[in-house]
Amino acid sequence: MSATADAGRLLPGGLGFLRPPAEIELGAYGLDLRGLRVADIGAGEGRVALGAARDAASVLAVDPDRGALARGRAEAKRQGLSNVKFSEGAAQSLRLPDASFDVVVFSWTL
Amino acid sequence: MVDALQEAHRILVERGVFVDARPDSRVSARVRAGSAHGRVVGTIGTQRPTKTDDQMSDRAIRDVLCRKLFRSRRHGRLWHAIPFEDFAELNDYLSDHLRFSRRVHWQAPAARRTTPLFVERAVRFEILQKRS
Repeated sequence: MSATADAGRLLPGGLGFLRPPAEIELGAYGLDLRGLRVADIGAGEGRVALGAARDAASVLAVDPDRGALARGRAEAKRQGLSNVKFSEGAAQSLRLPDASFDVVVFSWTL
Repeated sequence: MVDALQEAHRILVERGVFVDARPDSRVSARVRAGSAHGRVVGTIGTQRPTKTDDQMSDRAIRDVLCRKLFRSRRHGRLWHAIPFEDFAELNDYLSDHLRFSRRVHWQAPAARRTTPLFVERAVRFEILQKRS
């Protein structure tokens, strides 16, 4: 198992390859993220966060797993995405200010 | 779960959007033969404890809707295909999977189960909007 399939097209494996590619999942939501502040809670390695960062003004990826966050940071750097940040935290007690995001995503989190 | 949803509500701006996406255990995963669009040759159910967890998550979403923290904007389902070179690889995958049942419920004779195999799983998403 080294790839994920989208409409019969094989894509290279990578972050979260057992889950839908971010562009497929975000596309299904039908949201226009341009100019918005997005929080991806339970972000893991940032599969959705990195996808959202291509359109959003800023993205914060929150997860309790430091290793996953480190891999996400490295991937963001590799992709040249400077508008995504990774932060350690739990969904039940976010150390974030009130009313600070336009969109909050729980993908495979609940 | 409700705690997490309340936190999501707190950090959202007025009329901000909340997205919940999860594997959908209400429908079985499909096993397709030959290609991602090949014939469905089997299905894979969800383990009972995982189904119970999913129902609790559904209940948490219903709870915040009932409490008028959010309003529902839209929901839907997408399908995601995971390829396996052969039966051995699929069996290895299922043997330690926490969500799927351990075995495929085959619906086609072995002769029609051509490889590669594709497990097509459902992902349910719900788009909610923060209410004032």
